[in-house]
This record gives sequence, structure tokens and C-alpha cells, in this order.
Amino acid sequence: MNQSASNQTPASLAPRSSRMKHLKGEWLEGLLLLSPAVILLLSFIVYPTVSGAFLSFQREDPFGKSREWAGFANYLELASRPEFLSSMMTTLKFTLLVAPLELLLGLIAALLVWRPFAGSNFFRTLFFLTTAVPTSVAAVAWGWFLNPLSGWVNWFVRALGLPVQPWLTDPSYAIWTLGVITAWAGVGFVAILLTAGLQGIPEDLYEAARLDGATGWVQFWKITLPLLSPTLFLVGLLILFRSLTAFGQIHLLTKGGPAESTFVWVYRVYQDAFFNFRFTYAAAEGLTLFLALLLLAALQFRFFGRKVHYE
Amino acid sequence: MIHNLEPVHASKPINFSKIFKRIPFYLLVSTYAFVIILPLLTLFSASLRSDADLYAPTFLPPRFTLEPYRLALTSYPLGSYLLNSFLTSSLITLGVVITSSMAGYALARVKLPYRELIFGAIVGLLLVPGEITFLPLYLHVNSLGWLDTYTALIVPFIASPLGIFLMRQFLKSLPQDLFDAAKIDGAGHFRILWHVAIPLASSALGALAALTFLGAWNMYLWPLVTTQSKEMQTAQIAVSNLVSAEGSQWNVVAAGAILVLLPTLVAFLVAQKAFVSGIALGGLKG
Repeated sequence: MNQSASNQTPASLAPRSSRMKHLKGEWLEGLLLLSPAVILLLSFIVYPTVSGAFLSFQREDPFGKSREWAGFANYLELASRPEFLSSMMTTLKFTLLVAPLELLLGLIAALLVWRPFAGSNFFRTLFFLTTAVPTSVAAVAWGWFLNPLSGWVNWFVRALGLPVQPWLTDPSYAIWTLGVITAWAGVGFVAILLTAGLQGIPEDLYEAARLDGATGWVQFWKITLPLLSPTLFLVGLLILFRSLTAFGQIHLLTKGGPAESTFVWVYRVYQDAFFNFRFTYAAAEGLTLFLALLLLAALQFRFFGRKVHYE
Repeated sequence: MIHNLEPVHASKPINFSKIFKRIPFYLLVSTYAFVIILPLLTLFSASLRSDADLYAPTFLPPRFTLEPYRLALTSYPLGSYLLNSFLTSSLITLGVVITSSMAGYALARVKLPYRELIFGAIVGLLLVPGEITFLPLYLHVNSLGWLDTYTALIVPFIASPLGIFLMRQFLKSLPQDLFDAAKIDGAGHFRILWHVAIPLASSALGALAALTFLGAWNMYLWPLVTTQSKEMQTAQIAVSNLVSAEGSQWNVVAAGAILVLLPTLVAFLVAQKAFVSGIALGGLKG
């Protein structure tokens, strides 16, 4: 700027200092606007995360009154505990069922309703509805739906001539049943996101494909799936987070049982903290879950991130 | 697939063969929708049955009764739990809308030092789920003496990284001229935010409010660990208590669950657009 080049003259100093004044006023306003959110985030997300990490390296007396430094003791303990390892495996099993099932169920719904047709709004409402269903209500609805005496699932099973199954009380089924319930509860969420993704695909690509005589099947594999892949990738990441941290439906339906077969990771943290009162040990379990979450997210980026087709 | 008809085609005679071709599609979409909402329909059906009819193998209740609803509201005071959920969810939503607009505006439109760095840090917080921080947060809230109060249910959630992110992105996408005009008139940032940004962002704010309300209404783990007294518990915990208390009275449990579902369901049906765009924005951008 010419003015700043000749900044020796008093005449150019005046606008400069007023500009500084103006900038300071702007900073002040910006800080005032930003501070409520920043202070709240620092106290209720950043501070708990950091203090949780500190806590996990401490030891406490049985009354939880005094804490002292303990190094990796809590981590060594959880690595040697079969209950913790089995909670890890249960969570992994659960996630491996929920993620693909929820994605598939939601994708089917989205493929059925993303284009407008007579009645499409009505069907969209029905498919998107499960987003408005609280976890506790979903759990109760399924508890009744699977009831051995009255549930429709068991009527259906009986009609097929098969024996009635104790879906939620048999240790070999319960975690899978909870997985189906969780995937069902997420159908609306996934359908909304994938519908938005499908509507973002340019219509002229389909026009061109039709002119070339491509069938619906070919269009799906060559146009829909590749162009939807960024959305599928993101939705997959969100499902991963949601299923690794599932809690409400498990607390309400099985309380970790039968025979600890549904004792997922978050449930273990909850149990160790609020029933065994081992806060520092539970903090270590919580932080390990966080690390596992970040690791799995990173793995998803590594393996699917590159295959994702961006426009 | 039917596409939006061009005006030219509007006067064409009805093409019956085309409608016939659509029948399999309608069968498919209806069946799938029916299967998806069936668990909710059978829950609704159970909530309208007397004890005697509860296990009758019919889709509709043999005789309709509202007795389970009366029991859920009187012998079990579901009303006060619902009121708590309304209060806490509404205040959380109000708080998130206010803090997100202010911070989102500052990060999009105010020349601040380290602005992008602050924004990046806030986006990073999206990776920290509440199920990870709930234990240290509980200890923190306990040391503040907030356990079993509305403060514990509301204050930790009135700033949202997702809300700030969405508002920042939205306000950044608006044309600069709109803001320049106000600046030339000598308006400060608070006035520009109130008179220019907020009115322009009303649809984004509606979507954010719907998304936040839904999330707050559905909160389960946090009220479970921070509330003990019946006066403070929320509707989600009420359902859990109802299951333990009336486990064999499935019609009463079902009526209670339907009452807890009703507010979000009605809100969803009335403001579907806000909900859907809120979830789409929150998911795809978050």
C-alpha cells in the first residue's frame, strides 16, 4: 500500500491508528460473541476429556476420597481382565452386525423414496419416522414385539412351524437381537441422509445412461453407488460411532445379561463407575473406548476413504 | 419411475399401462414401510388393550380402552416426567440456538486472530461422543454440587460443536454485500447479527433447533446417572422405571411409551422439513 510506504508523515499515522482502533473494537466484539460458546465447550467437553485422561492414571482409596498417581496400573488391570476383554468383543460383534444391517435397511428405504412419485411424501414420512422414536420407546416397542407370549415375531416363527425363541433371554441370541433393534432404530436416520445423497446425483447422468440403453441394475452399479459413496462413507462413520456407544436399549432391555452376553463397553464403564465405584478404573475403560473409536474411524478412512468417489 | 411431468404432458390421456407397471413398485414400498413401522403399530395396539385382551392374537385390540393411559398418568405420574423433559429440552434448544448463532457468526464474519484455528478445534470436538465424557463430566458436575438439579440436565449441553459448525458454514455461504451494506451504515457486529444474519438464517436455525430438541429429548445415559429424585427425572428414565415397576403390565408400559413418543412424533410430523434438513445437515456436514 502507498500509505504505509510513506508512514513517516504524521498525516498517514492518523488513519492507521484509527484502523487499529477499529480492529481492536472488532476483536472485542468477536470475543464477546465467541466467549459464551467457548467457555461452555471448555468446561463441559474439553475439561472432562482431559480430566478423564488424568483420572485414568490415578488410583483411589475404596471410599473414593483421595487419589494418587498410579501410572499405567488401571490399563494393565483392564488388559488382564477377562470381563473387559469380553466386553470389547461383544461391542465389536454388535458393531459388525449393526453397521452393515443399518446401512442396508436405510439404503433400501432411500432407494424406494428418493424420487418423487404419487405418494412419495407419505412413504418418506413412514421411513424417516424412526428418527423421532426415542431409544427407550424403541426398546419397549421391541420388547413387546419379541414377547414370547404375544409378540408378532414369535407368531410368525410359530406359523412357520419353528419353535418360539427367547430372543432377549438366550445368551447366544441376545446381542444379535439388540443389534437388529439398534439397526431398526437407525433406519430413518440413514434413509434421510442417503435420500439427500441420492438427490444430489445429477439427473442428466441417468438420462444419458437410459439413452445408452443401460438397465436399472447397471445404472445402480455404475452411477448410483459410485456417486453415493461419499455419503455412504460418512453415514458409515456415524453408524460406527453410534453403535460403539450404544447404551439405552441395552440398559432397558437386558441390563448386560443374560450371562453378561450383552455387556457392551459403555455398559462396563457405567457398571464399574456407578455400581463398583471404581471411578479411576472406569475412566481408563472409557478412554480406551475413545481410542478404539478413533482407531476404527482411522481404519475406515484408510480402507474405504480412498475408494470413495468424489465428484 | 415417474418423473415430474412437464407441462406439455399434462393434458395427455391417463396411461393405464404405466399405472399397471407401477403396481409391483407400490406393493414393494408398502410392504417395506409396513414391516418397518410394525413394531410401533403393535406397541400402539397393546396400549389400547385391557389386561384381559392383552395377549389376544389380533392386530387390532378386540375392545378399545384408554384405561392403560389413565393408569400411566395417574398411578404412575408420567405427566411430571414429561414436563421435565419439555423444560430441559426446550432450554437446551434455546441455549444452543443462541450460542451457535453468536459463535458461528463470529467465526464466519468477524476478523479475529486465529479464527480458523479456533474453528478447527471446535470441529475436532465433534469426534468426542457424550458417552466418552459422561463419567468425568459426572464427577465435575458433582463437585459443582449440581447433581439432581435442572442445572446438571441443561447447562453442560447449551453449547454444541455441531451447532457452531452448521451456523458458521451457513453464515459463511451468504454473499458479503449483505453484510457490507450494514457495516457502511455503521452497525456493529451485534446489530448485524440480530438484524441481518438471524433473519437470513431462520431456516437453518429451525433445522438446528429441531435437531437439538430431538437429541435432548432422547438423552438417556446422562439423566440416568445425574438424577435420583422423581421430581428431576426425565421421560426417558420414566419409561425405564415403568418397565421395572410394571414389567408384567405391558399395556401400561406401552401406553407410557406412546405418551413419551407422542411429543417428538407430533413435532416430527408437523415440522418434518426442519427435522429432515436438520438431520441431513447435521449428518452430512458433521
